[in-house]
Amino acid sequence: MARETIKAEITGNVWKIVAQVDQDLAEQETILIMESMKMEVPVLAPVKGRLKELLVKEGQDVSEGQDLAILET
Amino acid sequence: MAFEKYITEHERRTARALAMGGKERLEKQAALGRLNARQRIDYLFDPGSFIEIGRFARGEPRGDWDKTPADGKVTGYGRINGREAAVVSHDITVKSASSSPVNVRKMGHVRRTAIANGVPLVLLNESSGARIPDTMGAIGTGTLGQDPTQFIRMREIPYVAAVLGPAFGTACWFTQLSDFVVMRKDAQLAISSPKVTEIAIRQKIDPMELSGWRMQTEVTGKVDYGVDTDEEALDLLKSFLSYLPSHHNELPPRAAVPAGADEPAQALLELVPEDRAKVYDMRKVAAALCDPGSLFALKDRFAKAAFTALGRIDGRAVGILGSNPMFKAGALDADACDKACTFFVLCDSFNIPIVILADTPGFLIGVEGERRKAPGKVINMMSALQMCTVPKFSIVMRKSYGQAYLNMGGTRNTDEMLAWYCADVGFMDPNVGVNVVYGVKREEDPQRFEQLVEEIRRDSSAYDLAGIFSAVAVIDPRESRRWLARLLELHQRRLTKGIGKHLLSGWPTTF
Repeated sequence: MARETIKAEITGNVWKIVAQVDQDLAEQETILIMESMKMEVPVLAPVKGRLKELLVKEGQDVSEGQDLAILET
Repeated sequence: MAFEKYITEHERRTARALAMGGKERLEKQAALGRLNARQRIDYLFDPGSFIEIGRFARGEPRGDWDKTPADGKVTGYGRINGREAAVVSHDITVKSASSSPVNVRKMGHVRRTAIANGVPLVLLNESSGARIPDTMGAIGTGTLGQDPTQFIRMREIPYVAAVLGPAFGTACWFTQLSDFVVMRKDAQLAISSPKVTEIAIRQKIDPMELSGWRMQTEVTGKVDYGVDTDEEALDLLKSFLSYLPSHHNELPPRAAVPAGADEPAQALLELVPEDRAKVYDMRKVAAALCDPGSLFALKDRFAKAAFTALGRIDGRAVGILGSNPMFKAGALDADACDKACTFFVLCDSFNIPIVILADTPGFLIGVEGERRKAPGKVINMMSALQMCTVPKFSIVMRKSYGQAYLNMGGTRNTDEMLAWYCADVGFMDPNVGVNVVYGVKREEDPQRFEQLVEEIRRDSSAYDLAGIFSAVAVIDPRESRRWLARLLELHQRRLTKGIGKHLLSGWPTTF
């Protein structure tokens, strides 16, 4: 089991959290949706795994490179 | 029997060469779930088409003569689906396929022959790097570098590489020189092995972080695909080559058009949300525009705000570049510019027309971008696009703003620019522009903000773009494929038989 930190690819605001902690995610499945560049930008699981931790809340501002979630792969 | 002693001796030597590194090492390779160097060649080439050169080459030190069949790199020529190609297949069972003066000579001969005769070069890479002790000392190291053309890449022919095990030294260098690369997920690609690196820099190394497939597909972008098996890797090399001509003075092969090829484009209104704030996956749009099953993504895990692929429209090979709103909102960053450059170089070198699909809020600006030399990358991409002499077409889909509009083929930066009837073009997103130009925020004065948005949005429609003859046509999205097919038919560069000037052919092979 490896732990993978999911980082924000873009600066913006956490608009909606879609996945739940302990949920099994397929590759490319949506974890949360950010609002950035006036668009709703999904944050996807890069590989298959279980969502172990969510490190942000809805409404929170995040910077590019900031940790968003931890996936166990 | 006449010549009996020669026949016997020839058979003995042939059997020795074909036995490679011996039963034990071959079994070890099989236990890893990997094909050996000769099995890979058998899988790659049409049955019976392989001719081997350098079979009886061996390492130079006298003590190695019987231990180095083919000197650890199997080389020759064969046919892939009826088309000639050259191959270098590293034999890891012979001195770890390490590079020696003799086998580098073999590689050079095959490479030069491939270029002189206009056939692709296939590199099946699995090597520990330079051979020790042969390359030690001034005599060993000074013996290298006998070929001053070894690392010149003018893209007269395609180079494709599969990284099928450890690939260090020469195997790594030729991977870097390649136009298309696939890699096994248990393989390693780096300058030196993790072990050598650890000793050299006195730091514990995570092999996957140093040289693994995710590093290479997601961070460096050098590798196009990570795969589980040798067969998958070889199939991908064959697929890639099916879109390319054998050399730069030839057109890509034309394929048959599957039945019902025009139907998927009819669903474009369902694939793309009308609301510009909603994202969608540009890959699905590209697939709908291409002949069914023909879309072949390149570097799909790297710089995902830009999507690049080969495909076919009406059986003709095309290269597709799209901004992808699904990732980073389709805002192009430094890596996306690099990815676009590499893609333009490929298409321009091998006479593949380019289709650009633009739906972008602009370039991704910020400190990180400046740190990563984004301004230089933006202009590299722009220069590369303008230097391409293959036919170029673009479609402005929902929006395209600022310099990114130009980088994505805006106005005369492609031969024909089409605009969907919903396209919005301007210096930046109107909602951001109000704040920048007038200093008004929505939360402070919503009424005035909306008024100003409307003011900025005025004159930014597809028809305004067509009104000054920047867009040559305003179209219904569902007509896109038909338009592209007709334009491809028209723009065949008949005066030069479709062969471009290849102004980008000497562009560096990595970024």
